[in-house]
Amino acid sequence: MEEYPEEMRSPPVSLVSVVGCSELHSSISTHLHSLDPPINTLALPDLSKVSLLLPPPKPNPVPGDSSAPPPAGILKRDWLLKHRTKVPAVVAALISSDRVSGDPAQWLELCSEIDNLKGLIRGRNIKLVLVVVHSNSNEEISEDQMVAVRKRAEVDAKYLLTFYTDDGSQSKQSLDRLGSVFAELAGIYYRDEGRRIKARIERKTSNPTDFNIRYSFKVAVYAEFRRDWVEALRFYEDAYHTLREVIAGASTRLSAIQRLVEIKTVAEQLHFKISTLLLHGGKILEAVTWFRQHNASYRKLKGAPESIFLHWEWMSRQFLVFAELLETSSAAIQSISPLTIGTSERPLTEWEFQPAHYYQLAAHYLKEKRSSLDFAVSMSEGEIDYSAESVAPSSYLGQFARLIEQGDTFVMQPLTDEEYMRFAISEGKRFQDSFEIIALLKKSCESYNNLKVRRMASFCGFQMAREYYAVGDFSNAKLLFDDIASLYRQEGWVTLLWEVLGYLREGSRKHCKVKEFIEYSFEMAALPISADTGIQSFRFEESGPAGPATLQQRETIHKEVFGLVSEKLGLASIENGDDLKVCDDNPLHLEIDLVSPLRLVLLASVAFHEQIIKPGKSTMVTLSLLSQLPLNFEIDQLEVQFNQSHCNFVIMDAQKPHVASLADGQSGRRRETAPSLQLSTNKWLRLTYDIKSDQSGKLECISVIAKMGPHFTICCRAESPASMDDLPLWKFEDRVVTHPTRDPALAFSGQRATQVEEPDPEVDLTLDANGPALIGESFIVPVTVTSKGHEVNSGELKINLVDVRGGGLFSPRDAELSTDSHHVELLGISGSEGEDESQLNTDEIKKIQKSFGLVSVPNLKSGDSWSCKLEIKWYRPKPVMLYVSLGYSPDNNESNTQKVNVHKSLQIEGKNAITISHRLMLPFRRYPLLLSRTKPVPDSDQSVSMPSNETSVLVVSAKNCSEVPLQLLSLSIEGDDNDDTERSRSVHGGEDLLHPALLVPGEEFKKVHTVTSEMNSSKLKLGNVCLRWRRNSGTREQAGSAALVLTNHRLPDVNLESSPLVVSLECPPYAILGDPFTYFVKIQNQTELLQEAKISLADAQSFVISGSHSDTVYILPKSEHMISFKLVPLSSGAQQLPRFTLTAVRYSTGFQPSIAASTIFVFPSQPHFKMVAVGDERKESVVAE
Amino acid sequence: MIVCVAVVGHQNNPLYIQSFTDADDALKLHHIVHCSLDVVDERVNNPKKSGPTLNETFLGLLYPTENYKVYGYLTNTKVKFILVTTDLDVKDADVRNFFRRFHAGYVDAISNPFHEPGKKITSKTFAERVSNIVKSFGFSSTA
Repeated sequence: MEEYPEEMRSPPVSLVSVVGCSELHSSISTHLHSLDPPINTLALPDLSKVSLLLPPPKPNPVPGDSSAPPPAGILKRDWLLKHRTKVPAVVAALISSDRVSGDPAQWLELCSEIDNLKGLIRGRNIKLVLVVVHSNSNEEISEDQMVAVRKRAEVDAKYLLTFYTDDGSQSKQSLDRLGSVFAELAGIYYRDEGRRIKARIERKTSNPTDFNIRYSFKVAVYAEFRRDWVEALRFYEDAYHTLREVIAGASTRLSAIQRLVEIKTVAEQLHFKISTLLLHGGKILEAVTWFRQHNASYRKLKGAPESIFLHWEWMSRQFLVFAELLETSSAAIQSISPLTIGTSERPLTEWEFQPAHYYQLAAHYLKEKRSSLDFAVSMSEGEIDYSAESVAPSSYLGQFARLIEQGDTFVMQPLTDEEYMRFAISEGKRFQDSFEIIALLKKSCESYNNLKVRRMASFCGFQMAREYYAVGDFSNAKLLFDDIASLYRQEGWVTLLWEVLGYLREGSRKHCKVKEFIEYSFEMAALPISADTGIQSFRFEESGPAGPATLQQRETIHKEVFGLVSEKLGLASIENGDDLKVCDDNPLHLEIDLVSPLRLVLLASVAFHEQIIKPGKSTMVTLSLLSQLPLNFEIDQLEVQFNQSHCNFVIMDAQKPHVASLADGQSGRRRETAPSLQLSTNKWLRLTYDIKSDQSGKLECISVIAKMGPHFTICCRAESPASMDDLPLWKFEDRVVTHPTRDPALAFSGQRATQVEEPDPEVDLTLDANGPALIGESFIVPVTVTSKGHEVNSGELKINLVDVRGGGLFSPRDAELSTDSHHVELLGISGSEGEDESQLNTDEIKKIQKSFGLVSVPNLKSGDSWSCKLEIKWYRPKPVMLYVSLGYSPDNNESNTQKVNVHKSLQIEGKNAITISHRLMLPFRRYPLLLSRTKPVPDSDQSVSMPSNETSVLVVSAKNCSEVPLQLLSLSIEGDDNDDTERSRSVHGGEDLLHPALLVPGEEFKKVHTVTSEMNSSKLKLGNVCLRWRRNSGTREQAGSAALVLTNHRLPDVNLESSPLVVSLECPPYAILGDPFTYFVKIQNQTELLQEAKISLADAQSFVISGSHSDTVYILPKSEHMISFKLVPLSSGAQQLPRFTLTAVRYSTGFQPSIAASTIFVFPSQPHFKMVAVGDERKESVVAE
Repeated sequence: MIVCVAVVGHQNNPLYIQSFTDADDALKLHHIVHCSLDVVDERVNNPKKSGPTLNETFLGLLYPTENYKVYGYLTNTKVKFILVTTDLDVKDADVRNFFRRFHAGYVDAISNPFHEPGKKITSKTFAERVSNIVKSFGFSSTA
């Protein structure tokens, strides 16, 4: 676009001329320029110089004269420029007022100048404005004088202006008036001119077509001056269409080539104007459609074969200019959605709105131009170089002529077509098209990339890279090619990839890059190009340096690259002439990783047959190699590398003993042989070997290094068959797919890594625990470490207590955080008996936490043993898992030797040893009425209540609920603090157990206390039961060793309640048959109220009763009522006394003594007792079964 | 005249590509087919633009090159068919008809139990059938 002159690129601006009074010119021109639309000003200092501006008019050719010679050209080259910069629409003569009002001489001079001016503008239709400049507002010119001036100049009254320079506001008004008059007159001028020319077009048929084009163009330009874009567009289009008619006759003319060039140049200019107007008007769709038509009309118009490069150059320029136009108005394009536009029969596609598309095509045509030009240059070689200096553009657009010096003046002489062609070719040779093409493609490529259109961008990049390649800029080309190749690899476009790789390969050859050359060659040779696709033979030039994509070509490349690595062939380098070789000085090493494109060349899959192996035991490992190279090839030596380097081994070809002999001198390396190391296309080479490792941990195959020829190696990363990716590119091919291993199961599950286990421990770890643990005691678990072959060095014993149920581990941290979880606690670890305590303390690491312990084990020789004891205490019944693990190293010397671990676990149940229960009893046959028992309160708790001021009996029993016999040492009740005063009880201390009582499992020990409450409090604290016991273990010494355990059991509180009535029954302890006795019922009223009680006594078979059967008695406050019955027993044995029933009316409650309490034993005759005194005072402490 | 037809798979990889020119510009056609995939992507990813062509397998004119026209077709399984022709005045109906027949041929070819989905189509029968469809392309409108 920049090559167009400025007057073409911007819309035309009206031009006016101001003459005279030069001091005002700058303010006037500034003001006019700032108007909307602006007006350009042409200023001349005084009226006498006006002829410089307007040369005297030439006689116009008579319009419409058909006999006139045909025009020499279509458009004058400088016509537009002339009208924009030289021919004003309006001439304003500035006359200072003193000249008007001055003396007659001045007046005459003025008149002659005005006349002169009138003569100049006559016939040109240029408007005249007279401006009388007043430097002083007081100055007045008479009306007559003004009229005289106006008459003289023959201007309308309104075009005679007065201009005040002095005052600010008046000067501003004057400027405004001037501006509006100028705009009006300029509009009239351009309209009139347009009409004048349009009138000529009316007589179209009689005009030569060239004139019609010129006229239309002029009308359009005049319309543009007036900013009438619609009319401008119409006439430009008219001109454009008329031009099409000219083309038909062009070829018959004498200088057809030049004529065509001229037509195209004019068309280009018209097209440019039309496109600009359309795009500025926001009509992008129309612009694109217009461009498409323009392109379609002229694309076939190639002209003479020798000048075809001019056509391509012209085409390229069309696209470039349109791309630039589109780009400058690209902001508007964003809002366009492509598919809503475009007619149904000719839809427009997305890219047609993108400048990138046009840049790309501009580059395309420029390439066409270059090849045509090269051809033309080669044809014209040998001819005398034509001196181009004397050829210059002539006065008509698109025409060239020779300048011939004739004396002082230059004369334009038309050229013949041959001359013109020689000129054009020599001009064409001056330009470096490649760089231009690259620049265009780069723009297109960047633009496409911004749109995230990767494939188009790649295609542009590819063309760019080809240009770079052609001009020898290999580094730039390589960057682009590599980028493009990765896209083609990814999408599997093999033929396109082949082409790109061909360039890369050839480039590396030219620039002596052996490694790259070999890499690209290998990749090309391994591409999936089969015989089928080879049918489409590509033309050599088309497919670039790669040659046709065929199987034969792959084989050729294969042979070439193997010739190179086996050092039979050198790489012929073009750059500096000498061959490149892979040799001692220049060894070559290729790396193939999991994403390398060279995986096609060599793929190594390694599978261990076992997932887990024992140290020192051998297992099988299968190594499988696959290649897609088209021909068979042999590997001299394979080296398999593992992460444990001592496992590495080398595989030799058994058929090549000489190779094996010259192999590396590294001693100690394991060496295997294989029947053959030949790889053929798409066929796995499977090799299986033994492998063993003494080192535990992961054994992983890292890589397989194939050596071919003395100085060439390929390092291939080992892959697991189970997780192997498909081969890129080949995965789309219809090929036979085989497993890397013979065993299909291994192919699906095989891994390149295996786990080597730890060596088997030769140390015994024993945990002894006899029976369940009892709560409260410190339970001893002896741990014994016995060496059975291994020496134990730097041994370490870890102890862990784990909750069995929840699985919740007693990790040290948890135990610290939640105190609740300390149901079981590791108290300590004591060393083995007989070991020196001080040594133990200093040497051993001993860490003990609530559920975790760590203790170091002294060094043990084979056969030695060591033991320690774990003390564990239970607080709650809970099963616990005890884990003990011993870590040691069997070797003494090395610090890095592997640790061997032995684990043992034992589940230990924690159980309650003794359950303590208690009972509160009232004295025999005495029943206080406790109101809380008669009226069960819904929310009453289960706490026991006891009558106050009564003596109760408390029986505490301890039962052995464990499975081992226990020794009970003492049982006592101890008060909590100092609240003993609140109750009174008879305490018989534990020390009165002279010998420890033996409790066998299930046995119960009871102790009786009396409790009397004397206080008026409602609660009675009974205190804690303190039980001292130990495990009973047969012999006396062991019994002494077993630790004493103190078990505390808190007795619940008792409610105290005063009872209103107390009933007590009194009868003798026994009766004798036939012997009467008295049965008393005492009712004691403890209240301040009169109590009414109904009593009744039922008959009994075994007794004869005397006394009232039923009665109602009244008991006075705080007094006692006694009822007595006389009974005579009639039968012996345990007999039921007559049932006595009492009903307290006030409390609506009845009472009947229990059966046990109303039973009496009747002896048949008077018994005889022999009283024996018990040795001690234990009256209330009984051992009961 | 149809100069090239192609079947393009899910990863934008060519499953079948065949050119029908005497001139050896197959490689150029490969480039054209490859570049046209951009337009297919654009149309598929921005369906709002294509409004009426939603749920339509025929994608229409993909992009104009100087000498060729490229048409596209997208099957329900997202396999793309690309057609490159040198005819500058092609009726949409013809192209639709072509793609319909081509699609039928493709379905028959991949229904072969020995064909593995996602791999290149190497069937000779398919190739013959395609070349028949291509040959009859110009005449279908008149017949």
